[in-house]
Amino acid sequence: MTRGRAVDVVDRIRAAEAGPEGLNAFISLANDLAGAATDLIDGDAPLAGVPVAVKDNIATLELPTTCGSRLLKGYRSPFEATAIRKLRAAGAVVVGKTNLDEFAMGSSTESSAFGPTRNPHDRTRVTGGSSGGSAAAVAAGYVSMALGSETGGSVRQPAAFCGVVGLKPTYGRVSRYGLVAFASSMDQIGAFGRTVVDAARLLEAVSGYDPLDATSVDRAAPTLVDAAGKGVEGLVVGVPEEYLPDTLDAGIRGLIDAALERLKRAGAELRPVSLPHSRFAIPTYYVLAPAEASSNLSRFDGVRFGVRREADDIGAMHEATRSTGFGTEVKRRIMLGTYALSAGYYDQYYGRAQRARALIRRDFREVFDSGVDALFTPTTPTTAFPIGERIDDPVEMYMSDVFTVTANLAGIPGMSVPIGSLDGLPVGGQILAPWWREDTTVRVGAALEASPGGTAS
Amino acid sequence: MSVDRGEVLRIARLARLRLDDDELQRMTDDLNSILEHVDALGALEDDDVPDDGRWAERRSTRASEETVAEPERLDPSSMAPAFQDGFFVVPPPPGVHAEEDSS
Repeated sequence: MTRGRAVDVVDRIRAAEAGPEGLNAFISLANDLAGAATDLIDGDAPLAGVPVAVKDNIATLELPTTCGSRLLKGYRSPFEATAIRKLRAAGAVVVGKTNLDEFAMGSSTESSAFGPTRNPHDRTRVTGGSSGGSAAAVAAGYVSMALGSETGGSVRQPAAFCGVVGLKPTYGRVSRYGLVAFASSMDQIGAFGRTVVDAARLLEAVSGYDPLDATSVDRAAPTLVDAAGKGVEGLVVGVPEEYLPDTLDAGIRGLIDAALERLKRAGAELRPVSLPHSRFAIPTYYVLAPAEASSNLSRFDGVRFGVRREADDIGAMHEATRSTGFGTEVKRRIMLGTYALSAGYYDQYYGRAQRARALIRRDFREVFDSGVDALFTPTTPTTAFPIGERIDDPVEMYMSDVFTVTANLAGIPGMSVPIGSLDGLPVGGQILAPWWREDTTVRVGAALEASPGGTAS
Repeated sequence: MSVDRGEVLRIARLARLRLDDDELQRMTDDLNSILEHVDALGALEDDDVPDDGRWAERRSTRASEETVAEPERLDPSSMAPAFQDGFFVVPPPPGVHAEEDSS
């Protein structure tokens, strides 16, 4: 964890981003921080003086909240997210708002209206997404921790692509109040860190029951940092066969096997398991998430939020505002969701996807009930791909979430932790744990961090 | 299942989106490619799935009846160019003239 004068941190980020090697990680940077951090650095608060970057779909008072959309360019929220209030109470300083796929819909941060974020490990490649700006900001060393959000893997996947730690909590652990809604039954705020402990410390700070979010669950905030030192002796780590298909890249498979071997040497018991309905995860997710998005994004009508495109009557105004304000991927998902929910197709798509979701959840419950403490899988099927490679092929883009979406459908916690590199690009290993057991992901993640990762070519 | 251009236009109207000819063709192609993938859900055996599609097994929490003050909310008068008697003063919607409004 890095503490420093936040005003210096912002100056450093501004200078780095203005240069030829800039990453386009931020949409806005704080302007008025003089004195904000200096008084806090020596304070007792858990994050006193720690600069934190925040994904730009989490509402802040001091900075605009754009969601990476033309439609919300410059939009100022009249209230701030509970997570931001908790950050400030913990002494942290928000140094800026990070780039993201528009309304968090994407897996590469290329659908942002403010341009793609570049991967610090190779600037011709994507950061992953949708929280790509936050992942890049941590990977580049601008900040040691950052908030992101997940609906289908948007913290874990960019964490894997950028070589940092990404921690997605159990659904209901962190208040969604002030997180701009995409698919409300899956959206969760998550944490990035340079280390497992940094991510754990940040998640601890923003967790807890919030009466302002009806889906917030009344459980005590977890103590995660302590878990990092507990080791994995005696833990049963399940290895689901569906997440290691024959088609998996051999280099990634090799790094996963090496990481499993390290866990075994550290005292964990490895056990093969099966999650048979995970094969339905991508089709299920790409019905349910767009269906919820089509409803949630109906609020952007040119009246209440952001820009308005004038037209002859109110219906034409709605259409003109939405058609020019939303980008291609957002329109695609709104269309898909509207179709899936429309008369005659509801049972075939939405009803069926809800059933598949129940089965995916049941698979996890059965495996965890059988005595498995955590699951270990690759976070992504590939390393970071070149900018532009998949932007015109939505199905190919969606496949980069194939190993992460199940945790969102089931509501369980998950972490991506760096386990090595392949041709100079980071590879992430994913740890999944039962509902409310973020501490187990921290134990396993810290054990992997403590033993050196591999490289492959 | 697949969709044709007419169906895509119908969905666009429902979604309050306007698509030009190029966008319409591209959207039709994209939706068909996604729907082809989504059709994998057809392989689910009906007998094998919970009949109510219920996924949320965890106990939900009831919000208390207590009124909770929303923290750190800006004074609404600071957010709008015009604010009067506790209301935002806004331009009339398209097609409505200010004179009609005041009559």
